[in-house]
Amino acid sequence: MYRTAAKRLFHGASIIKRSGGGRLLRLPSPRNVVSSSRFSTTIDPQSFPNQTLNPSPSESSSGSSSTSSSTSSTAGDGPRHERKNPRAGYEEEQARVLQASLRHVMRVGWSEEAMIAGAKEVGVSPSIVGSFPRKEAALVEFFMDDCLQKLIDRIDSGEDLQNLIPSQRIAKLIRIRLEMQAPYISKWPQALSIQAHPLNVPTSFKQRAMLVDEIWHAAGDEAADIDWYVKRTVLGGIYSTTEIYMLTDSSPEFRDTWLFLDDRVKDAFDLKKTIQEAKYLAEAVGAGMGTSLQGFVSKVLQR
Amino acid sequence: MVGHVFDSVALKYDLMNDIMSAGLHRLWKDRLVSKLNPFPGMKHIDMAGGTGDVAFRILDAINRIESKPMHHAGDDLQEEAQIYVCDINPNMLHVGKKRATERGLGEDKSLFWLEEDAESLRFGDNSMDGYTIAFGIRNVTHMEKALAEAYRVLKPGGRFLCLELNRVEIPVIRELYDLYSFTVVPAVGKLVTGDRDSYQYLIESIRRFPPQETFASIIEEVGFKNVEYENILGGVVAIHSGWKL
Repeated sequence: MYRTAAKRLFHGASIIKRSGGGRLLRLPSPRNVVSSSRFSTTIDPQSFPNQTLNPSPSESSSGSSSTSSSTSSTAGDGPRHERKNPRAGYEEEQARVLQASLRHVMRVGWSEEAMIAGAKEVGVSPSIVGSFPRKEAALVEFFMDDCLQKLIDRIDSGEDLQNLIPSQRIAKLIRIRLEMQAPYISKWPQALSIQAHPLNVPTSFKQRAMLVDEIWHAAGDEAADIDWYVKRTVLGGIYSTTEIYMLTDSSPEFRDTWLFLDDRVKDAFDLKKTIQEAKYLAEAVGAGMGTSLQGFVSKVLQR
Repeated sequence: MVGHVFDSVALKYDLMNDIMSAGLHRLWKDRLVSKLNPFPGMKHIDMAGGTGDVAFRILDAINRIESKPMHHAGDDLQEEAQIYVCDINPNMLHVGKKRATERGLGEDKSLFWLEEDAESLRFGDNSMDGYTIAFGIRNVTHMEKALAEAYRVLKPGGRFLCLELNRVEIPVIRELYDLYSFTVVPAVGKLVTGDRDSYQYLIESIRRFPPQETFASIIEEVGFKNVEYENILGGVVAIHSGWKL
């Protein structure tokens, strides 16, 4: 569900960006600004910059290499063209800064310092750090989006999932995703605590939901009934517990974590069978009770 | 003319600010500096910052970061932050230097007091991380020139912040504010500084200042990106912000 909706959104956005014309995702050009008070902010963080920040890093990393080259070629024409895409320009800069900041995270953690160091590396004044609505959270969210995008790329590039049964596919996908976090594992508890912060929970929850949805989708699940929620919740549980287990795992190449993961996946699938059996039992009991109830009611009415 | 207005006002400037805003101007300046997000080694211009309020706050913020236990010293030499307090009026700078000495920052290597015209700064291109102008932009004769200069001296990624008295958009507050401005302020001005005309000029210049949206689009036309403004007290004061990117 998420993936198809997201695909439509990105597809539409990339079309719009490439044509270079009206950008329906962004706000109108400066000429129309007097009629709509688009500049105003309140003291509470505005939700709009957060939303554009989320899809755009994956946008800019995957489909928009043509866009970035086109904006850089028009930059030579002077400030006039730049003003037509003001938001696009600064968001790419932000994405570049965040990408560079990731390299410093291992040293100084998920903090403003990493972002300042990243900005200096890219050649941009560290004052840009003030433009991220929730600073460190922006860095963590960027990383999560980046990993999700890499996972999607791995899936699309035809990882050999066809030869595996669903439970093994899920285990493999979770393993691929968690391995992306392996370099940052010493600072990952900090990232988790940042994600758990009340201000950041909505975004981190949404990112995890998208991740879990992606994994199920790739494992071949097409269901759209109540099962959908149960499956996502169960997988979310497996993913989180494995993630936390990994934090204290010191075995070479996280071997213990993968064993733990396999066990959890097996449990979940056993649970699924158990739930199915429970469902059949409930149906049978219901049917039995139904007929006896019917008989009773008809006898009562006959009287 | 604007230079001379501040000749007579300089000595009692801070006192008048406190009386006119009931001390609230301190909070507004705190908000301005927290938005700026100062960092160690920052190079910053505080334009029209004569008596040093904003500059002192920035220095305090940087010192607070540096003294935090989690702060790691950078790989490169820990640079001194450089804060340039610029004002067209030397009397205001004089008062500012005195206040700095009173706070113990007289010998501080990070503070520089320079007499500058906002419309033509003597700094090089792409040299500053931040530029603030608090309650000063409405006094500049050619606002666009001052904004263009701000754009020129900022590095890519640099931040522009402007704190200014603006248009009140909420009806009831607007009426009260107008009443307050046209009756109380010049009278108090006469009482405290003996100069009613300068404060009359002040109130009128506030009314002449463009509304928030217009000012924001002027800022964007100069070239700043991600321009936004934040209204405080329903519009009595607004902080406009933009980045050079």
